[in-house]
Amino acid sequence: MSWAAHDLEPYAIQKHMRLKVAFVPLLIGSYSPDMMTKWFVYGIHLGPWDLKASDPAQFHRGWPGFGFTHSLVYGVAIGLVIWKVFGSKLWGVSFCIAQFAHAITDAGDTVGTMLLFPWTFHFHIDAWAYAGQTGRMTDAAAYFSGLGCMWDLVFIVYGLYSWRVLTSAYFDNVIYRADAFWPWLNRAVPRGALLVLYRAAFFYGTSRWIAWTIWAHVIHHYPYDLSWGGPHWVPAAHP
Amino acid sequence: MRLRLTFDRPSGRDLTVFGGYCLAAAVYIAIGVAWIDFLLSFWVGLGYLLVAAWLVPSLVRRLA
Repeated sequence: MSWAAHDLEPYAIQKHMRLKVAFVPLLIGSYSPDMMTKWFVYGIHLGPWDLKASDPAQFHRGWPGFGFTHSLVYGVAIGLVIWKVFGSKLWGVSFCIAQFAHAITDAGDTVGTMLLFPWTFHFHIDAWAYAGQTGRMTDAAAYFSGLGCMWDLVFIVYGLYSWRVLTSAYFDNVIYRADAFWPWLNRAVPRGALLVLYRAAFFYGTSRWIAWTIWAHVIHHYPYDLSWGGPHWVPAAHP
Repeated sequence: MRLRLTFDRPSGRDLTVFGGYCLAAAVYIAIGVAWIDFLLSFWVGLGYLLVAAWLVPSLVRRLA
């Protein structure tokens, strides 16, 4: 799984497709595969109950489980629902593209994704260890010690290199014009706040990347292991 | 033919805005490292950024 790439990928997609996509469904599509599942992978306390998947990797990426949310057919299906039920081809296509990006990015770890579901084969290139089953903190420490965080860094650097995507002029000329959602929201929310909303995911992804890196390597001194499939000090899950 | 890698240079105004976001990020990161739960929610990050990058500057401008 990725910790910051899914915040940042929509900006890269937006830069290349400009008016052909809308930013909000790009962001929703990018977050969608994990929306229903992440809390149960790490577990939560609800009063006297501890709710957690008995096999987090299977639940998150497998079948039986919610692994179908990381498949291409899921993106197409939800994209079609948005297009045909809610009447917006732009939103449907944008959702689909960003969901594809999420599913493909997550194929970078050791569990991978069932890209061609209902075929349950896991596509995985094993670049970094999937450690969701170890709990949120160990997973964070492992992720920010291996190649996964370097993949996130690619998107941070690319976003900063493509800095015009984050400017107010770009927001006015591309983001606002591409999608009627923004003029609609602008009736209740000032334009300055809309610009902050647009930039929020980039801010969140980048700041969080830095904060978790400091937490893992300055506060706790977890060792970096940028070898393929690392870090090898954590037990990686496999399909 | 010579190929040159060019970088689109930001203006002073762009750098000022960027500096403001960097300051907001530094505070967010400091809070997040000290209290890790602060980093976990996108909505907390969004709310924080609205306050730090829009509400506070708007109030300061109005008071000035």
